[in-house]
Amino acid sequence: MLRNPEEIVADGIREFGNGRERLMQLLTKVNEELSWIPTTAIEAIAKATGISVAEVYSVVSFYSFFSTEPRGRNIVRLCSTISCVMTGQDEILKALMDEFGIEPFGTTDDGRLTIETTPCIGLCDQAPAMLVNGEPHVKLTPEKACEIVRGLG
Amino acid sequence: MEKKVLLAEDQPEFGAGFELALTMSPADVVYIVRDSGIKGRGGAGFPTGIKWNLAGAASSDVKYVICNADEGEPGTFKDRILLEKYSERLIEGMAIGGYAIGSSHGIIYLRAEYPYLIPAIEEARKNMIDRGLLGKNIRGKGFDFDVEIRTGSGAYICGEETALIESLEGRSGFPRNKPPFPVNSGYLNKPTIVNNVETFCAVPHIILGGSEWYADLGIGDCSGTKLFSISGDVEKPGVYELPLGAPLKDLLELAGAKDIQAVQVGGASGRTIRATEIHRSLSYDDLPPGGSVIVFDSTVNMLDVLENFMEFFVHESCGQCAPCREGTLQLMNAVEDLISGDICSEESLNSYFRLAEVMRITSKCGLGQTAVNCFVDIINNFVDFTGECVSGECCCERGDQ
Repeated sequence: MLRNPEEIVADGIREFGNGRERLMQLLTKVNEELSWIPTTAIEAIAKATGISVAEVYSVVSFYSFFSTEPRGRNIVRLCSTISCVMTGQDEILKALMDEFGIEPFGTTDDGRLTIETTPCIGLCDQAPAMLVNGEPHVKLTPEKACEIVRGLG
Repeated sequence: MEKKVLLAEDQPEFGAGFELALTMSPADVVYIVRDSGIKGRGGAGFPTGIKWNLAGAASSDVKYVICNADEGEPGTFKDRILLEKYSERLIEGMAIGGYAIGSSHGIIYLRAEYPYLIPAIEEARKNMIDRGLLGKNIRGKGFDFDVEIRTGSGAYICGEETALIESLEGRSGFPRNKPPFPVNSGYLNKPTIVNNVETFCAVPHIILGGSEWYADLGIGDCSGTKLFSISGDVEKPGVYELPLGAPLKDLLELAGAKDIQAVQVGGASGRTIRATEIHRSLSYDDLPPGGSVIVFDSTVNMLDVLENFMEFFVHESCGQCAPCREGTLQLMNAVEDLISGDICSEESLNSYFRLAEVMRITSKCGLGQTAVNCFVDIINNFVDFTGECVSGECCCERGDQ
């Protein structure tokens, strides 16, 4: 069961404090637990830190790994930089799109999965690569990638 | 030839460099680092000892030691290897930095793409605490030091040191105007040194081996060894350690590069050269030694490569200054027109080359200043203009100049 955003923020404040220099940690905590950052969380963080709602929102929107839209509980980030592209990233992306019926940055209707593309994730020596909920998966083939994603909860 | 120091099989015990540093005065530690000639291993190449000297001289009760572990340059993964295997060396280097400048606070700013490295870093910190090398009154010298890990959230620009500091302060990663420099006014307006993972990892070796030993590891005027991440069309992609100043061809041989059409050195923001230029050296005076090397064989369409990199810069420009925000978009348009055939002559690109020059001169930070490199290099070196119009609506029809 997902916790409500205010509860997560309150927890984060206890853990990190409410200084403005803790903003990234608070946002990361919400983003990791819910897969996105709802307005209620932004408002709770603004209230606790004394930063305006508009500014917290602008910070959220600046960083690619934060989202102001709901995402799936599993997030796949497929590297889109050249070393991965040269080793077959496009076939992997196509296979994932076909099997799970979504476009890049799309989320399945059941809220299970979001697939994104992302610039270089630093696994070029084992390309093509992707991060699944932050864990690296390397030397992918379309079959291998689909199998990994199929196995997610 | 490889020359392994940071990645050597047989290494001094973690902490030995720090223990030795604690027997010296902070000023002497700074001088050893300065005299070693080491320059920032992230790529910008600012002399580390000068940075530390300035931060050490700044008067403040509170100072910060920040490790830039936000390696985001396409094709770079050397810091990943260091963080996986040598986090204790890194923290040791940061502690030496803290002792040298008079700081008790270390922060590792880790890129969001590397969350799986956090356990290794935390374990390294714990080992250092257990051995009494982090914490209060270390070795009875009255010096306190500890580190915390903070993560980014997927923004390339936060590898720029002032953008990184902005991010740590809870803001969007917009680079600051300099001066003031972080050594005087950095994190929370306190004197701050920001150094790359590899720089901090080299410091304990410098303390133990001495500045002269370290300087002699490099070739010519270059000091020390350097890690390079190589990928693309090579048989053995990976991280190799070479004397700084080594010719690129040495690295290419180690990694098994054959049928070379192009080599990109220094990542998307670096230089893209032809196979005829691989005798050039990996050094701050020649090919940028930031760490990324990508090889492209003769089957690769270099315009596709350019498109991939321009997409990257359009996505990663922070949007703060116009030359970079608008310029990257315009160069992207030009690349798309080249691919579709809507630009078919070199003359039609003149205005884009002028724009590239404007971006290089007027962008606020290194991102916009160097985003033009791949555009200029790939078009100059790898695009043939046949003079034949393939599109009915190309530049000739429009009369562009």
